[in-house]
Amino acid sequence: MNQENSLNKFRGASRYVLDNELAKIVNVSIALEMPLLLKGEPGTGKTMLAYAIAESLKMPLIVLNVKSSMKLVDALYQYDTLTRLNDSRFGDSDRNVSHIEEYIKMGKIGQAFVADVRTVLLIDEIDKADTDFQDDMLDILDQMQFDIIEIDKTVRAKNRPVVIITSNAKKDLSDPFLGRCNFHHIAFPDPTMMRSIINVHFSNLQEKMIDACIETFYHLRRFDGIEKKPATRELINWIRALKADPDFNISKLHRGEVPYLGVLYKKSSDMQIAARNITRSF
Amino acid sequence: MFIEFFYILREKGVPVTPTSFLRLHKALSTGLIHSLDDFYTVARSVLVKSERYFDMYDQIFAHTFRGVEFAEPDDEEITEIAKALLEEWLKNPADIAAALGIDEKKLQQLTPEELIQYFFDRLKEQAEAHHGGNKWIGTGGTSPVGHSGYHPGGMRVGGISRNKSAIKVAMDRRYKDYSQEGPLNQSQMGEALKRLRRMVPAGPKDVVNVDKTIYETIRNGGEIEIVYSRRLRDRIKVILMIDNGGWSMDPYIYLVQTLFNYVRAQFKDLKVYYFHNTIYDEVWLDPRRRAKPEKTIDFINEDPETRLIIVGDASMAPYELMNKNGFIYLEKRRSRPSIENLQFLAGTFPHSAWINPAEKRDWGAWTVDIIKQIFPMYELTLDGLDKMVHHLMSRN
Repeated sequence: MNQENSLNKFRGASRYVLDNELAKIVNVSIALEMPLLLKGEPGTGKTMLAYAIAESLKMPLIVLNVKSSMKLVDALYQYDTLTRLNDSRFGDSDRNVSHIEEYIKMGKIGQAFVADVRTVLLIDEIDKADTDFQDDMLDILDQMQFDIIEIDKTVRAKNRPVVIITSNAKKDLSDPFLGRCNFHHIAFPDPTMMRSIINVHFSNLQEKMIDACIETFYHLRRFDGIEKKPATRELINWIRALKADPDFNISKLHRGEVPYLGVLYKKSSDMQIAARNITRSF
Repeated sequence: MFIEFFYILREKGVPVTPTSFLRLHKALSTGLIHSLDDFYTVARSVLVKSERYFDMYDQIFAHTFRGVEFAEPDDEEITEIAKALLEEWLKNPADIAAALGIDEKKLQQLTPEELIQYFFDRLKEQAEAHHGGNKWIGTGGTSPVGHSGYHPGGMRVGGISRNKSAIKVAMDRRYKDYSQEGPLNQSQMGEALKRLRRMVPAGPKDVVNVDKTIYETIRNGGEIEIVYSRRLRDRIKVILMIDNGGWSMDPYIYLVQTLFNYVRAQFKDLKVYYFHNTIYDEVWLDPRRRAKPEKTIDFINEDPETRLIIVGDASMAPYELMNKNGFIYLEKRRSRPSIENLQFLAGTFPHSAWINPAEKRDWGAWTVDIIKQIFPMYELTLDGLDKMVHHLMSRN
C-alpha cells in the first residue's frame, strides 16, 4: 500500500488537532471524490478542518460563506451588467463591450473549478440557504460543471476540488443532498482531546494550569439551563485572558473563583446562571 | 458482502440507500479500508447521514460484528472475561456498577462468585434480546471479517480510551444524546421556524434594479439612468398566545419556554398574550393574567396578515369551551362561549395555527377534537413545527 492510497494521508495541521476517526473520513471522502458534510455544535472545529486540510495538503482554500439570500448562480458566476452598460455608454475602457465573457466574473464555486491546481472548497453553513440552493449546488458538484447562460458556455472543473460542507443545524438537510455527501458529526472534544488542543495553541503552559482550566471549563459546561455553552474558542480565549492577568494564579480556580466569566459566556442570562451555580457548587 | 448488515440497518429505521451501499463497496475496493475500525468509521460516514441515527448504527454494528460467538462464548473466553471483570472491579467498582446496572453499594456486598454469577445472568439475557443502555456488556469484540487484532480484552466500559476497537467504540453508544428521542432545543426550533417569514421591500433604496435600469436607460435614449430599489426585508407579524395556567400545562413549561425564548429573539414584530385553558373575552399581556387584559374582540384591528400561533394543550372540561359561562373563575364570567372567541380569532387571522405541546397520542380530550376543527393543530416537535410553518406560509 503506497502512501498516496492510504487512509492516513491527511494527518492534521499545525494548529488543528485531528482525531483518528475524522482523519479516516476525510481521506476516504477525498478518495471517493465526494463532498464531506460536517455537523456538530459550534466550537468543534468544523470550519477549521477545511483550513487544516488545505494547509496539510498544500492546496489553496476557497471559502464560500453561504447567506440566506444567496442564489446559486451567485456562487457560480456573476454577470456584471452595470459595468457593461457603463462601458457601452462611455466606451472608455479597454474591454470589448460586445464580448460578454469579459463581464463574467467567477463566483467561489466557479473559482474552484477554473483554478489550475486542485483546491479545497469550503462551503460554510449550508443550512442558511434554502433547500433548492442545496440540491442544485450538489448537482453541480456532482457533475463538476455548470453553464453560463449568457454566453452559452459550459465551465468544467479542471481539477475536482476537495469539498467540505459545514452545517450548524440539528435539522436534517434534504435527502437528495445527503445522498450525495459523506457525513460526519463532530462531537464536542473530551478532556483528553481538549488538552491536546490547548497544547497546540499554547506552547508553554504549566500542566497544573491546564488541569485546572480544563476541569473548571467542563464543570462550567455542565450547568443546567445554559443556552450557549462555552466552546473551544471560548476556552482558548479564556486561558489567554488568564495568562494576561498578572494577579491570576491557579489557586483561585481551585478555590472555585472563576475570573473573566464574560469571556466564557456570551449571554447575560447564561452568565447569571453560571455565577449563581459557581457560588453554590464549590 | 455485508448485505445482512445493510438490511438490519434498514429494518431498524436507519435510512440507508442502495446507492450509498454501492458507494461503500467502492470505498472497500479502493483498498483504503484495512481494519474493522476503518470499516466502522467509513461505513458510518457513507451510509448514515444524520447524527440522530449514529446511536442506532452503533448498536447495530455492535450486534452484527460482534459475531455469533457472543451468543455462546466458549469456556476459555468466559474465563478471560471473568478474570478481566474481576480486575476491573478491583480497580474501578463504580464503572462496573454502572455497566451492570446495579448499585455500587450493593455491588460491594457481593462476593466475587456472586458477581460473576450476576454477570453471566446478564450475558444470557443479552444473548436473547437487546436491552440497550447500561445493560450492554462487551466482550471486547470479535470480528467475522478475519481480522486478527481483536482478542477478548476484558471490559472497558465508559472512561476514555483512544485505542478502542470499533465494536467497543460502537458499544459505548457515544451518540446516544443525538438519537431522535431527545427533547427539542432552541437551535432546533430556530431551524424549524426559520422559514416563517414574509419578505417585503423595506428600508433605504440601495440595491440596483437591473431590469428597471435597463428599461429606463433605453427610455432615456441611451443616457444611463440607474434605478435603485429597496431590499427585501422580513416583516412578518406574529401573535403568540400561550396557555400558562393550570397544572395540565406544567409538564411542558420547559418546552414552551424554549419556544417562547426563540420566538422572542427571532421575530421583531411579536406580541405575546396569555390565557388559561382556552380563550374567553380577554387575554392578558402579563403572564400573571391580572394587570393588562386585552379584549379578544379588539384583535379585529390587527393586520390580518399577522400569523397567530396559539400554544396550549387544548384539554379542558367541555363546558369551559362550550358554555356561555364556562370560564372557571367565577368573577370573570361573561356571555360569549369560548368556542365563539376561538372561531372569531380563526376568522380574523386566516394564517393561524395551534401548537399542542402534548404528544399526539395523548390528544385524547374531547375538546382537542373540537379545537382541531377550528385551528389546524400541530405537535411541539420538529416535524410539527415544520408542518405548522408550512401551513402558515402556504396561503400567501
